[in-house]
Amino acid sequence: MTASATGSGGWRLAQGAYAGALAALPGMGPATLCALLERGAPADIWDSVRRGEIVRPPARGSSGGAGPRLSWAAAAAGAPLERWWDAWQRRGIGVTWPADPRYPRRLLSDPEPPGVLFWRGDLGRLESRCVAVVGTRRCSPDGRASAYDLGRDLAGAGVCVVSGLALGIDGAAHLGALDAPGAPSGTGSTVGVAASGVDVAYPARHAALWERVAAAGAVVSETPPGRPAQAWRFPARNRVIAGLVDMVVVVESHVTGGSLITADKAIDRGVEVRVVPGPVHAPFAAGSNQLLYDGPGPVRDAADVLDALGLVDHRPRRSGRRRPAPVARPEQLRLDPARPAPPPSAGGPAPPQSCSDDPPSSPPPPSVGPELRSPRPLGRPDGPHGEVLEAVGWRPTSLGRIVERAGRPVGSVGRILEELAAQGLFTEDRGWWQRTAGGGGRRE
Amino acid sequence: MFAAVPSATLIGVDGLTVRVEVHVTTGLPQFSIVGLPDASCREAKDRVRAAFSSSGLAWPQKRVTVNLAPTGQRKIGSGLDLPIAVATLVAAGQLPAEAVTDCGFIGELGLDGSVRRVDGTVALAAAIGAGAVVVGRDAAAEAAVVGRPRVLAASSLRQVVAALRGDDGWSPVPALPAPSRPAGEGDLCDVRGQPLGRLALEVAAAGGHHLLLVGPPGAGKTMLARRLPGLLPDLGPDDAFEVTRIHSAAGLRLPAGVMVTRPPFRAPHHTASTVSLVGGGTARMRPGEISCAHRGVLFLDELAEFPADVLDTLRQPLEEGRVLVCRARAAVSFPARFLLVAATNPCPCGGDGSPGGCRCSEASRTRYAARVSGPLLDRFDLRVGVERPDVTDLIAPAGARPPGESTSTVAGRVARARQQAADRGVASNAEIPAARLDDLAPLSPSGRRLLEVRLRQGRLSARGLHRVRRVARTLADLQGGPGPIDEEAVHAALALRAEPFTFEVVAS
Ligand SMILES: [Zn+2]
Repeated sequence: MTASATGSGGWRLAQGAYAGALAALPGMGPATLCALLERGAPADIWDSVRRGEIVRPPARGSSGGAGPRLSWAAAAAGAPLERWWDAWQRRGIGVTWPADPRYPRRLLSDPEPPGVLFWRGDLGRLESRCVAVVGTRRCSPDGRASAYDLGRDLAGAGVCVVSGLALGIDGAAHLGALDAPGAPSGTGSTVGVAASGVDVAYPARHAALWERVAAAGAVVSETPPGRPAQAWRFPARNRVIAGLVDMVVVVESHVTGGSLITADKAIDRGVEVRVVPGPVHAPFAAGSNQLLYDGPGPVRDAADVLDALGLVDHRPRRSGRRRPAPVARPEQLRLDPARPAPPPSAGGPAPPQSCSDDPPSSPPPPSVGPELRSPRPLGRPDGPHGEVLEAVGWRPTSLGRIVERAGRPVGSVGRILEELAAQGLFTEDRGWWQRTAGGGGRRE
Repeated sequence: MFAAVPSATLIGVDGLTVRVEVHVTTGLPQFSIVGLPDASCREAKDRVRAAFSSSGLAWPQKRVTVNLAPTGQRKIGSGLDLPIAVATLVAAGQLPAEAVTDCGFIGELGLDGSVRRVDGTVALAAAIGAGAVVVGRDAAAEAAVVGRPRVLAASSLRQVVAALRGDDGWSPVPALPAPSRPAGEGDLCDVRGQPLGRLALEVAAAGGHHLLLVGPPGAGKTMLARRLPGLLPDLGPDDAFEVTRIHSAAGLRLPAGVMVTRPPFRAPHHTASTVSLVGGGTARMRPGEISCAHRGVLFLDELAEFPADVLDTLRQPLEEGRVLVCRARAAVSFPARFLLVAATNPCPCGGDGSPGGCRCSEASRTRYAARVSGPLLDRFDLRVGVERPDVTDLIAPAGARPPGESTSTVAGRVARARQQAADRGVASNAEIPAARLDDLAPLSPSGRRLLEVRLRQGRLSARGLHRVRRVARTLADLQGGPGPIDEEAVHAALALRAEPFTFEVVAS
């Protein structure tokens, strides 16, 4: 390799700079990128692109009429490579691709591997035992508690907890891992897989969480730094999660939840899937319960997960009986017959899929044209009544907890509870409040 | 020769003036003490003689008789050592009688001649009618909080004699540092979540309502209870002196400024004996923990683990603010007006007591609940469930939830609410007589309707009704709104008086 790839400044940069720059080309998807990078060193490929020897593939499908398409040669000519590389290095952002020794080992045999992964933190965490804990953004307090406990106890047992940095279940799992007591490094190992650039915290509320995850483990993404997530990036991100772990645990999911995609992708890859059972009437558990019914076994907590992984069971069973560990057999499982199976890793980006859990922060470009369903409206009463309704769990919940969650004065909560109970939305049993199926059914 | 000097002995937490009279007459050398000395007091003979010898003083080779007047009352403790020694020196002619005019003495003598502090110095010094009192140097600050008599301090018998003769000076009485808030009380702003627990503390502090916290281990019941004294106002001068007197008598470590100006917090363990809890004892009648909590907070953790007879003895102090401890020979009344805070698990299994969240059999839960008697449970105007922190709260991003209010903010509201109660002419809202509730705690029409419904449904007893109305009064005072008590305050009062154990034992 004697060709000298040069930036406009005239000096040669590290190969990672060119790999990252290739990932940033317009319309670039993981499959195309992988195929490109198989041709040789990233710097050489970049040179070929600049010289117009490698051209942008035609758009798949007939989504024409979306304005002029920028050619790769033009895009590459205008790309301020050193400025990017300098900025990435200053922000501690690394770039890896399949030929790079740091590329996660598990992804090398993945059917749809990322062409390039950007990362902050310690990518080496992904070489240890990894478990994904995923679920809905709109989760119940109980689900959040389950995710937090799973994250904390798995990380405490030395497992790297992988999730998607989203609100709800994902965030709780990361936080649990960060709080793991007795973990070797003082905080548990956790890796966040982002749909946006590793330096673009989404949702913005989770900016501090991103920093903590990057410090305690790593934040990784296929999306070039500085870019918000396009809609297709969310399901694509979910397949990366599935490819990085030994097991996927779904805590709570609505029927259209993105975590079902993660589970589906895991089953495609022969990665074991487990489900935390939820209340049968609860909409937020309808998807995960369906998944559970379809085959993957249940887990209640981290001990069950460790058990299923063949790691030491940390404590005596609560009852004497031991369950035979059910194993999900990928070929037997078709999670959602209504959803067509994705094409087996052909060229082009991952097919767009709607993901009501993870609305993107910016509209998708026309070239990829995903149909983004807008988040479903929450069918709950407005104002204080809605807040109180939301605060009561499907399990018996004490008044103190409800007040805490609703963030309203005690007297006001007491009055609203009594009004809603009169409508049949709650039952009260000696001071413990619980939502009724009737109330849930009305809701969504 | 005859001499007499004033001193004092401790009866419970009160000082009793004692006249120490000494006769030194010719006859066979002998040393006797009469006038109902107790065992420790009788041992004064050995201590005084040893102190004479190590101080270079000559013990009179005569017949020495000590009489402790009044003779009908038992004299307790070692504080009479110093007056016995001084009176003997005067009676033996080794000190001029004028040297001890108008001067009392309190202190134990060490075998090396040192003068030491005795428990109850505050009450003892207050009982001295003379213009000055001599005490050990380590008791000088404590004696000085009385303000009268003048305190003269010395570290040894030798120094006492020299100072009385005018050959040497007294030790300086240490200047008192300004009273300070005890550290380690903990601030309310450290409490994460627990809105119901916080409110209960505020209401308890503002209205003087006894509080029962029910929750599983690790829920933070103790942490909450420890923050209650911080919400109470400083003790007034009279209360501060009374509490200091009690703590001095109990031998508790006094604060740097000696005077106890902050409401005390006492947390006796459930294995504590009845005597240590209520007071009494074989050597002398010591105040118990409940008196040490006078004008402060008595915290009983693991309420159901306390023996039933111990809990039974709380009934009188809860009603009268005093406890009468009877022994064969005497009965002593100790002040014991405290705010009772108790904590208990909902059941023995360590669960949170929720339906389905408990592994206990119904029978074991019933047994557990029965350990706390109905009448005692009824004393708690506030009964609040406390749970382990919610994950939601751990996850909330920084700034999404405002940090909890600080102790000083809440204490400000408490002080204003207490003032409103005082303006009403009651010591606290918890003490509003039932007959005056309509007058002092009028309800809005909607608030009244709510209580009527609860009564009709059988979810509220007649006695419970009064307690709920008092708590609602306090809640309304804290909100500061004028007019009759509104519906939400009544709702909150009902929420703060949950059934402590989630089954029917209490309702009967
Ligand atoms: Zn139990």
